[in-house]
Order: sequence, then C-alpha cells, then structure tokens
Amino acid sequence: MSGENRLPAGGRIDRSRKVSFQFNGRTYHGYEGDTLASALIANGVSVTARSFKYHRPRGIVGSGVEEPASLVELEGADASGNQPITTVRIRNGLRVRSVNCWPSPQFDLGAVNQLFASLIPAGFYYKTFKWPDWQLFEPTIRRAAGLASAPSAPPPHGHFETRNAHADVLIAGAGPAGLIAALAAGRAGARVFLADEGPEPGGSLLNRNLVIAGRPATDWVGEVSRELAAMDNVVHLQNATVWAYREHNLLIVNERAPAHETVLERNWQVRARQVICATGAIERPMVFINNDRPGAMLASAAQAYVNRYAALPGRRAVVFTNNDSAYSAAADMKAAGIDIAAIIDSRDCVPAGIGRQVPGIKILKGHVVTAAKGYRRVRSVTVSARNGGASQSIQCDLLAHSGGWNPAVHLFSQSRGTLRYDDAIAGFVPDAPAQSTHSAGAAAGLMALNEALASGARAGHQAASLAGFDADIVEIPDAHEEPYAIEPLWRVEAPGPRGKAFLDIQNDVTVDDIHLAMREGYATVEHVKRYTTGGMGIDQGKTGNINIIGAVAARKGARMQDIGTTTFRSPYTPVSFGAIAGLREGGVHLPYRHTPVTAWNQTNGAVMYEAGARWQRPGYFPCEGEGFQDTVNRECRAVRERVGVYDGSPLGTFELKGRDVGRFLDFIYTNVMSSLQVGNGRYGIMLSDDGLILDDGVAFRVGEYRWIVSTSTGNADAMHQHMERIAQVERPQWEVMITNVTSQWNNATVCGPRARAVVEALGTDIDLSPEAFAFMALRDGTVAGLPARVARVSFTGELSFEINVAPRHMRKLWDAVMEVGAPFGIEPVGSEANHVLRVEKGFLSLGHEVDGTADPHDLGMSWVMSRKKADFMGKRSVALRRAGGAARRELVGLLPVDPNTPIPEGAPLTPKGRREATEGLVTACVWSVANSRWVALALLKDGHSRQGETAYARLKDRVIPVTVTAPVFYDPSGELLRS
Amino acid sequence: MLYDVQFRRGPIAALFDLKGDRDTLARWSGKHIPPFPLSPNKFTASGGRWLFYVGPNHWILRADIEREEECERQLRPSEAPPQISIVRISDVFTPFAVTGPDAAAIMSIACPLDLHAAAFGDEDAAFTEIFGLKALVRRLPDGFEFAVEQSYGDMVAAYLARAVA
Repeated sequence: MSGENRLPAGGRIDRSRKVSFQFNGRTYHGYEGDTLASALIANGVSVTARSFKYHRPRGIVGSGVEEPASLVELEGADASGNQPITTVRIRNGLRVRSVNCWPSPQFDLGAVNQLFASLIPAGFYYKTFKWPDWQLFEPTIRRAAGLASAPSAPPPHGHFETRNAHADVLIAGAGPAGLIAALAAGRAGARVFLADEGPEPGGSLLNRNLVIAGRPATDWVGEVSRELAAMDNVVHLQNATVWAYREHNLLIVNERAPAHETVLERNWQVRARQVICATGAIERPMVFINNDRPGAMLASAAQAYVNRYAALPGRRAVVFTNNDSAYSAAADMKAAGIDIAAIIDSRDCVPAGIGRQVPGIKILKGHVVTAAKGYRRVRSVTVSARNGGASQSIQCDLLAHSGGWNPAVHLFSQSRGTLRYDDAIAGFVPDAPAQSTHSAGAAAGLMALNEALASGARAGHQAASLAGFDADIVEIPDAHEEPYAIEPLWRVEAPGPRGKAFLDIQNDVTVDDIHLAMREGYATVEHVKRYTTGGMGIDQGKTGNINIIGAVAARKGARMQDIGTTTFRSPYTPVSFGAIAGLREGGVHLPYRHTPVTAWNQTNGAVMYEAGARWQRPGYFPCEGEGFQDTVNRECRAVRERVGVYDGSPLGTFELKGRDVGRFLDFIYTNVMSSLQVGNGRYGIMLSDDGLILDDGVAFRVGEYRWIVSTSTGNADAMHQHMERIAQVERPQWEVMITNVTSQWNNATVCGPRARAVVEALGTDIDLSPEAFAFMALRDGTVAGLPARVARVSFTGELSFEINVAPRHMRKLWDAVMEVGAPFGIEPVGSEANHVLRVEKGFLSLGHEVDGTADPHDLGMSWVMSRKKADFMGKRSVALRRAGGAARRELVGLLPVDPNTPIPEGAPLTPKGRREATEGLVTACVWSVANSRWVALALLKDGHSRQGETAYARLKDRVIPVTVTAPVFYDPSGELLRS
Repeated sequence: MLYDVQFRRGPIAALFDLKGDRDTLARWSGKHIPPFPLSPNKFTASGGRWLFYVGPNHWILRADIEREEECERQLRPSEAPPQISIVRISDVFTPFAVTGPDAAAIMSIACPLDLHAAAFGDEDAAFTEIFGLKALVRRLPDGFEFAVEQSYGDMVAAYLARAVA
C-alpha cells in the first residue's frame, strides 16, 4: 500500500521529498512534513495499536499531542519510550512499532483479555488476586502492564543541553492569539520568548481553511513570522513545548531538534516577567458505545488530515457532534472528496449560519450515534433520536465526532491560577491568575478566530505594558468566524446497543468504570481518577478528563463547577530525561573537586574516591601485587615507623576577624578559646542547639583579633553556614567577620617519628624544636623556599607538621616533600590508612562515633565541656538530655576475643549475643599494625563502666565475642604526638 | 552549526576579601583601592585595580597577580583595625574567560543569571552560579569572565568542553 488515500494535491507536505519508513516491519512511503499518523492514514492503515487493558484494536483518534489511542516505540538509533503516533515526524530509515501488542496490532494474542473483560474492570487489582498472596500474581501482572521499553543505550551521537533564559514576555503557543501577542510585545521592544509545540507556527490555522484580511490565514501566519524573525528582541522556537509553569514565573520549555549539529534536545528554563498562555483548545470526543473503534476519530483531526496532510482518513463519513465546530470539518472533508453520509447533531436546533457551511449534507438534528459497529474498522453506526425511538444504521468507514472543546488550561493551572466553568462553552476556563499570567484565544475560552486575534493583541499589549514598555495597540486584521455554540452531551444514554463507552481511551476507562467507582464510595473527581486511572495515562486525559467530570456530574445530578477538575501537573507532554539533565552526565554528573596533588595521585596509582564535600581523595596507593589490606598495612607502618605524608587540603579553613571573635568562639565551641595566646591553637567541639556534636576542629589565634578555625572536610560548608547564621541572626551586634579560606590554603601533612627531620631537610626558617614549636602551635615562615604556615596538629597520633601553602605552590611543596623524604622512607598515605591510624588512637570521626546521638560525655570527652563558661551552644540541651539519668551509649574499645576476627562496621552489640534489642554498635574496626590484631571502637550502653567485660557482636550468621577496653590502642598518653 | 566560542582558564588574579565598616576600610586603604561602588553587584576600576561590591559590607579587590605583593604591602591585612577584615584570597578562585560570538549562548547554558545587556551591563558583577557552582561573573568586551572556587576548576573546564562541543 502506498498512498492509496493520498490526495493528488494540497496539504503542507513536500511532495518532492519522498520518505521511506517501516511500521511494524512493513515498509511504507510518505512525504517530508508527514507525521507517522498522516503517512499511515494516507497508506490506508486502520489498526495501529491495541488498547492498554482489553487489547481492543485501536486506530488514530487525534492529530497532535492529544492523541489517546495509538502509541508507538521508535527503534534503532531513534530508540525511545512511548511516542504518540501523531507526533512522530517520518524520515528516511525510521523504524517504528506499535506497543502493547504481539505479534502485531492486526492480530494480537493479548486480545484474549477481552474474554475476561468483566473480571478486570477498573480497580480490579484492589479486589482480586489476593489469595493466597498478591505477590504471587504481581510480577506477571506488572509484566503484562506497561507499554514501550526504555532505550537500553544512550543515543549514538549528539547530546542534550539545558539553557537559562529571561524574557519580559513569554508566550506559550504560536497560533493566531500567540502570534499577534508576540507581534504586539515585540514591536514594543520587550524581550519576547515565543514557544510553540508544532513544527511550524499557526496552530489550528494550519488545519483549517480560514481567511484573515481577505487572504488565506496561513499567509498571515507567514507574514507575522517573518516580522518576528527580523526582531532581535524576539526568540521564536517551534517544536518547543512549554511543559511546566513553576513559581515566580519560571517556565520550562523542551525544544526538540534544535538547529545545532550535535544537540538532540534543548531544555530551556525561562524566567519571564509576564506570561501569556495562548495554548489553544483540545477537542473532546463524544461518548457512546464502541467510540474507540478504528475509524472513529475527532472531527478536527479528520479536518487536519485532509487539509494539512492531504490524507483521507476514510471514504464515507458520518459526523457526530453537539457543537458548531464539526460543520467546517464536514465541509472540508466533503471538499476533499469524502462522502458525508450525514451529520448527526444531538442538538434540536442548529444555527442557520452553521448549516449553510454544509449544503447538500443531510443533518439529523436531535439525534445521536448510539453505537459504532465494526471491529478492526468502523463499518456503520447506529443512530436514533435522542429522546428514543426507532434506530437506523448508516454505513460508513469514518466516524468524525466532536463533543466540544476544552481550553488548554494546563499551564495556567500549574501556575496555581484558579479555573471556573463557563456554561457558554461547556468547559473550564482560566479565572484568577496567581502569577503574572494572561490567557488569550481558545485557551481563554474564546473560540472564534476574530475573538482569538483580539484577545491576543490585548494580552500582548497588556503584558508589554506591565513589563514597563510603551506598547501601541497592534492593528487587528479582519477575520470572521461564526461564534461557537454547544449543548453539552456528556454521554449518549439513548436505549439501544450494549457495550463499552470509553471516557479515557488510553487507559481503557469506561462510563461503567466511573459508575462503579462512585458506587464504591470514590465519588470525588480526584478519587475517581485514581481508582479508575482515568486521566493518568501518558496523554494525561487531554481528551477524556472533562468527559469524566461530566459523567460524574451527570451521575450525581450535580453541576460541573461543583465537581471541579483534578490537579494539572507537569510535564504537559512527556519530556525525555536527557533534556532535563542536559550536560549533567558522565564525568560531570556529580560535582567533584581536585587539589593540585590530584594529578600526582592519579599518576602514582592512587585509588581515588569522594571523601566528603565532593573532594576526590586518594583512598590508598597500591603497589604491584598488593591487596587492599597489604597496602593499608604498608602505609600505616610507614607512618608508625618512619614517615608518611598526606594531602590535607580539603579541611575546612576559615579566617575570623573582629573584636568579638573570642567570645564568638567561646559561644560556638564547648571549651574556652578566647584565652588562647597568639600563635597557639586548641582542639574543640561544636554542638548544635540540641546538644549533639556538629563538628570538631582546631582554632588558632593568629592576631589579637584574628583567628583561623578549621573544620572537618565534609562539614566545611555546613559549618560556614552555621557560623554565619549565628553571626548574622543570633549575634548580629557582635563584630565578627568570617572569610572562607579553605581553598586559599593547601597542606601537606608530614607525620611519623621522622617528620621533624623531613621538614628540616626541606629547609625552613621555623624553629621546629619541641621547645620552640609545641604541639597545637602555629608558625609562619618559609618551608622549601615557599611562604608557609605550619601547624603542629595530629590526626594520626604521630608527630605531625601540617605545612600550609598557597595552592599555586602546593605541587612544588609536594614534590619537594617526596624527594626530600625519600631517604627517610617516606610514603604517601591515603584515607584508608588515616582511618586505621585514628582508630588506633581513639580519635573521633563524624559519621562513625559521632553518629548524631552521642554527646562529648558519651565519647569520654567531658574535659572539652567547659564548666567555667556560663553558656555555649548546646550546653543546656546536653544537660537536659542527661538529667533524666537514662543509660547512655558510651565510647569504648573492643578487642575481638579471636584477634584475627574482624567485625563489620555497624554490627550491632546485643546482650549475650541474643536476638534482641541492641545495646550498642561497632563504629569502626580495623587491622592494627601497631597491635598486629583487629581492634574496634563502639558505642555501648554504659560502656565506660564495663571495661573488661565481654560483649557480643551479633551478625546474621554468628556471634563474635569481644572484650571491652578503653577506646585507645596506641600511645594512650599522647607522648608521641607531643614529641 | 557548532558554537563559535573560546574559553580560557586562568591565570589567577590578586584578590583580597574586604569586610567591615566601609568608612574604616576607606580610611585604612586610602588611595590603594578604587572608589567604592555606589550600588551592590557593581564594580569600579582605577589604577589597574577593581573593587567589586559583593555583599553587605563586603567587597573584593582585584588586581593582576604581579601586583599581589604590592597590594599586600599597601593594605597590611595583619595590622588592620578590628572593625575591618582584609584577607588574601588570590588562590581561592580560578578565573575563566568565555569569548566569541556565541559566548552568551554558552553562558546561558552555565548560568541562571540574566546576562542580557539590558540587565547586566559593563559595570555589573555578581555572585551567581556556573554549572551549579558559586561563581563571580562580569562582562568582558567580547564575552564574559567568571571565577569559581579553584578546586572545581577541572570540573568547570570539563563542563565547558562539553558545552561548546
């Protein structure tokens, strides 16, 4: 079949460019400009899909994003999830298949579901498949559900992109209202962002034969588009859907196929001062028995196929309507050569002007289609008077029906604007905006072309004026269209045939399903939606939602406005994840930070990973043939016996200045800092308001009013915010200025018995002797010829010199340390070895012993809780928490009774190893090179008084006995680090 | 059509973070800093130095890196009175320059701030985000300059390479 239903001329297709594509394995031909839907219609294809639940044969219902019936999956390089058949542009080599059917939509084994249709109404899974266990049936049901598969690989070429934009006026929709609004705002000099989902501007004007200023409307579209293109202040995007409207007038636009060689899709985040929703309206179907059969199509879609795509959706049509708009569709179909057997109008009276559009066509007023006949294609319809009486059968292969038009209020509603029901158009329209939003054209319920143009011009003028521009009123071109009139008919209820009347075609939701939900107590529209899944498909109920509301209202005998709508949520149409992520993939998916030594680490084989605050740090430096534990042991031995060096640059560092810094630090630390002398430092702990440990670090005094505060790496940003919050909010009267200098200072920490010798060998003007440079002191000078600030602090428990230099000098320092340290047996040390060394010393670590429940007393650090200070942050909370006298988990050391048995970190400790509530947990367990055995730290109930006892770590498959000890396994007096 | 743009990383500049009472800062710094900008998110320039007004009682002084020691000598951070804070932060930021006809397009990928000439002029400078990271941005004659925290420099370079590809 190739083009048997293609008109010989007309349409907005390029007949000079023939396109070949595959659909379900068969090759078809179309033209550039065709959608998959229009090309298949031109090729006479009827059945293009099977329905979600019942696997009923389905055809093409709409012509755009509203398409509810036929979803397809693209294959090969275009691999995608579900795509409405009406939105896929054909191109040479395109391969597409229908979803939810096997082996084909024509013959689908899933159709057996229709035999069990009465057993699987809406919500059946809440009531059935319960015995013996739902989980027995769930996997099978889940496999049967679902439509297309997600692609298994990224696109073979190209990438996604996101952009930020700002506009004075953003206009969603480039139909007549949107275009004239853009003209008004653009001429006023406003920055205009105009986005439209179609491949070309014009909206509904492309599907109809309307006249503007005495010429075809499409000529006017072209003229306006050219003027907009010449304006530097206008960004005009086609194939771009505004899919989300967020707070503060932030809108998100998905641009498909942007004009860029390598960009597949582009997502725009646009902040606009004013927004105009010119999003048009969406036709809804009529509701009658078998309204889902292939060949039953929206009247406007049939009109679009004959006018825009020169494709005949049928040869003999019946038109069924309750409003005026279907008459022009009938006229256009007749002009294209389709035999219109009759127009069935449910209204008793039809405006004379409307009837004049269809001379020679039989109109049956006050009549309804009660059922469509046919299975894989409509063969005929059954018609009877609305108030009953004899029925007649009319042969046809196309049933074009129109139940009215729903203003596309999705974006307006997302903006939190309210809606109201307009009886005149039997639809919901925008009421009060919540943001700087205007609605124009059909989106505002103004269906006629002249109304759309006038309202668009008004909106453009108003928006530009409100954005501060002096806007002239743009001249509105002459256009005439009969005003829109409708008598709503929410469903056909005339006695007659039995069968399924669909409200939500995509999710197979029928009128009976709505009635069932209401009988079972789910009577509000939100409950009806969720119980039946009506409106929850990929089309989000664009054609079905208002009919569902109508069905609920009719059943309840209530007004539409009293039923209301469900909540409109973004995205308006599906958006690929790639477009949302943009460039944020692969190597830049997560932020990462490097120090100047990172390249050296990588060159020297370090295993790198994130160790807090996005810093990439070396975990360990394996040598050839070494396992992980061997490497860590080697690095630990180097530090304990000779000398090691690690890059301590990521530690948080802040310079504080001001007259009140001393008392500020006294407030945020538990111990006294204000008494420090210049050049000295002190270890301290910061608590939160509720008395739990926030962070620990060392504060140094470098001047009378100047201090350096260090924090942990992972908490540096949080501590900065914490200090700023106190300074700005809680103590604004104190003179405290905080500057983050974390990245102004990098450091190489040389640690071990030979550390002093190495630093001396580097060359320094600082007296490194213990008498001149005590533990916890800070000295400025030069090291290795570089300006440096050296601190004597220790995280490993060994003699340590933290050599701080500017990052521009760090690599030079590091290279010098490695070179000079070589004769001393220096080795680089990673995070894993550092972890072992600090556990041996019983030094606390955030996330291990500091687990969000422990206070300093629990950790055996009562010495850090000042008794002299009247107040400090967290003091009262600690006291309150401990006032009850309840048992506390306290820091202890653990020695597995078998020295070669490790205990997993996090392992629970239970009384006698029994399976009952825990009395603690293991916070760290390491192989101690200093002790040649496994050692652990733990938080254990009443731990301080239980030293010498045996406790038990309970694992899934065994119990490990441990001896409770003091939480230090090396140099308990601290003699080495103070040496 | 690929992007017609170039980007360059570095070199670092001499930067000093200035905080505190404006009058005291002015008296202490004298003619060694440009006049204070009148409005936030603006900068002034004189004598090869720029003064950025970046927050309440918060400025950043910029000069070419060769003049860092000279600035340090003139500003004497360690001797400054307690009401003001002067801290060298030259190494904290890594600058990038994005120039060329498509510089604005690349910046629109990286930055949520409105950088259109109507909203962000030649004397504007503001902290915003570049690829989600805190950054200080200003215009150049043929594009834009931004500075991010130096530890993120490699990541930003990688991001830019992806953006212009």
